[in-house]
Amino acid sequence: MRHLAAALIFAASPAFAGVEEAIDDHILPATAAFEAATEDLARTAQADCRAETLRSAYQDAFDAWMGISHLRLGPLEEDGRALAIGFWPDTRGMVQRTVAGLLADADPVVESPEAFAEVSVAGRGLFALERLLYDDAVSGYGADDYACALATAIARDLHRMAEDIDTEWREDFAATLRTAGKPGNDTFLTDKEAAQALYTALTTGLEFTKDQRLGRPMGTFDRPRPERAEARRAGRSLHNVELSLEALRDLARALATGPTPDTEAAFAAALELAAELDPVLADVAQVQGRFEAEILQQRIEAIQHAVANEIGVTLGVSAGFNATDGD
Amino acid sequence: MTTRRGFLASALAAAAIPRLSWADAGAPAYLGAAREADGAFALFGLSATGDDLFRIPLPDRGHAAAAHPDAPEAVAFARRPGTFALVIDCATGQVRHRLEAPEGRHFYGHGAFIDGGETLCTTENDFGTGDGRIGLWSRSAGYRRIGEIASHGTGPHDIKVLPGDVLVVANGGIRTHPDKGREKLNLDTMRPSLVYLDAEGALLDKVELERDLHKNSIRHLAVRPDGLVAFATQWQGAPSDGVPLLGLHRRGAAAKLAEADLAEQIAMQGYAGSVAFAGDGQSVAITSPRGGRLHRFAPDGAFLGTVRRRDVCGLAPAPGGFLASDGLGALVEVSDRLSPLASRAGRAWDNHLIRLDTA
Repeated sequence: MRHLAAALIFAASPAFAGVEEAIDDHILPATAAFEAATEDLARTAQADCRAETLRSAYQDAFDAWMGISHLRLGPLEEDGRALAIGFWPDTRGMVQRTVAGLLADADPVVESPEAFAEVSVAGRGLFALERLLYDDAVSGYGADDYACALATAIARDLHRMAEDIDTEWREDFAATLRTAGKPGNDTFLTDKEAAQALYTALTTGLEFTKDQRLGRPMGTFDRPRPERAEARRAGRSLHNVELSLEALRDLARALATGPTPDTEAAFAAALELAAELDPVLADVAQVQGRFEAEILQQRIEAIQHAVANEIGVTLGVSAGFNATDGD
Repeated sequence: MTTRRGFLASALAAAAIPRLSWADAGAPAYLGAAREADGAFALFGLSATGDDLFRIPLPDRGHAAAAHPDAPEAVAFARRPGTFALVIDCATGQVRHRLEAPEGRHFYGHGAFIDGGETLCTTENDFGTGDGRIGLWSRSAGYRRIGEIASHGTGPHDIKVLPGDVLVVANGGIRTHPDKGREKLNLDTMRPSLVYLDAEGALLDKVELERDLHKNSIRHLAVRPDGLVAFATQWQGAPSDGVPLLGLHRRGAAAKLAEADLAEQIAMQGYAGSVAFAGDGQSVAITSPRGGRLHRFAPDGAFLGTVRRRDVCGLAPAPGGFLASDGLGALVEVSDRLSPLASRAGRAWDNHLIRLDTA
């Protein structure tokens, strides 16, 4: 009730424009969807943890993760959750090493959810599970094998984190955003900081998709690195690009306080092209595929410019002064 | 143009008037540069509780400032590859001198005083050769350049002074050339170092990181009165590599690298912007504006915890821990948690906060 009252008071302030909409229309439905999808994954694993049974629920959970993975504020920042759910980019090959270590030792840590929550973030989450479900050297495990127990532990751990994220957003962090600038709020010190934080999630998310999801497999012209594409074993590299753009468009729409024709057009152009690329971005190693990926990067840059002009300017916020400087 | 009479008059005036101290500038506890709401840049003197004591306009975005130990003078450096620095009288707000980097040199943005405040040392790039230099300037001669010494490395960035006028220099290792802006020209071969020099330029000690960390650019420094040096680094590999970004070193011993758990380490994005010891010297912290967080460590390198704050960068010792500044206009006190002191919407604090011990 108190939160509702606060919401009614601050909704009128220009600094809060977009924040309410982002919480109610974008964030809370997405955290709930991720909670539901991981619950389904955990329940499926409990019944039958073999790879072929789990794959469909895994894909759904990953889809739902793409709905919130850009929300790097509040609950996703606690306890290293963002990386414990999605350890990517894995520039040091730690997922493979950690999963191999757990398998080789048949580590009994899988028996206790509390103990498993303390396992390295590289050995948990969607990318560790991808190894079990899609790496041919592992995925043939049987119901009584250690890998099956590990898959179940990962699925259960994912659901535990998803539940905590959803609960914390609902019961705590939404109110923290809504009371930005009020006495006692040590997270958002001025009213503008709430919009600033959500805007940063939007711009950082766009940059991540352009530079990491596309840029990493593209590598350099002389040395393309298609094997670095995100979640390529699970066949979802391009799908993640598309889902991330859709989620970011959703956030942009929520934050917008007026018409945003350039932003809409830029998202549409990027998504239209993305639909034509290779599902695991393997063809970035060929001239034509690389060319198309470059065009997609340029279209995401066009989104970044449109978002800065149509949303950043209206909210009176911009990218971090120091974060973007560097010295 | 100084006439003989004018010179005598000012010399007499200087003798007659008690020498100014930092008290005449309002006894600030900190200096910080910022961009203001209207886009202008200024240097601020701040009280221990973060209130503005003075505001002096700057012509452009600054990097760091060097504070004179006694006189209310601050040397404000332009961002690299800047070629000028301004000596500002913080009591009157006037620019007293303008330092121009010699031909073929630019400043890196940090400086420090030795000889009881008589000599200013500035980190510089001899960009023809790529050699790091420390420029020496005489305050009593109106900040005339009186010489220079080698930094024994490439890209000297921060410089601090240990007891006995021992200079400690962070050679970032990255070669740049002003014709190419901030483009990094030697990432594959860079070899950063932490170097100790005496005022005559003799190399006293040189510390390098392990070969597999050669892309960990040593940039910023903090010193504890007992000679413990903390150095903060900026990783030139992938931000997600999660390498250590803080080192602790004491002359004669090996450097100790400090890191948090993997997820927190990766969240720093391979970038530490500032480093400081706590006011009591019992902890040390680094900031990452890119990661929106600050990491605290014990002096032995043990991780103590994370405090999150968006775009946080400036960091200095404070009685209860640290004072931190950020690009959103806030000054916050940091212990094991964050306590806001002051927040000025529209003001964006720049990279560094300078603690003055002269108040």
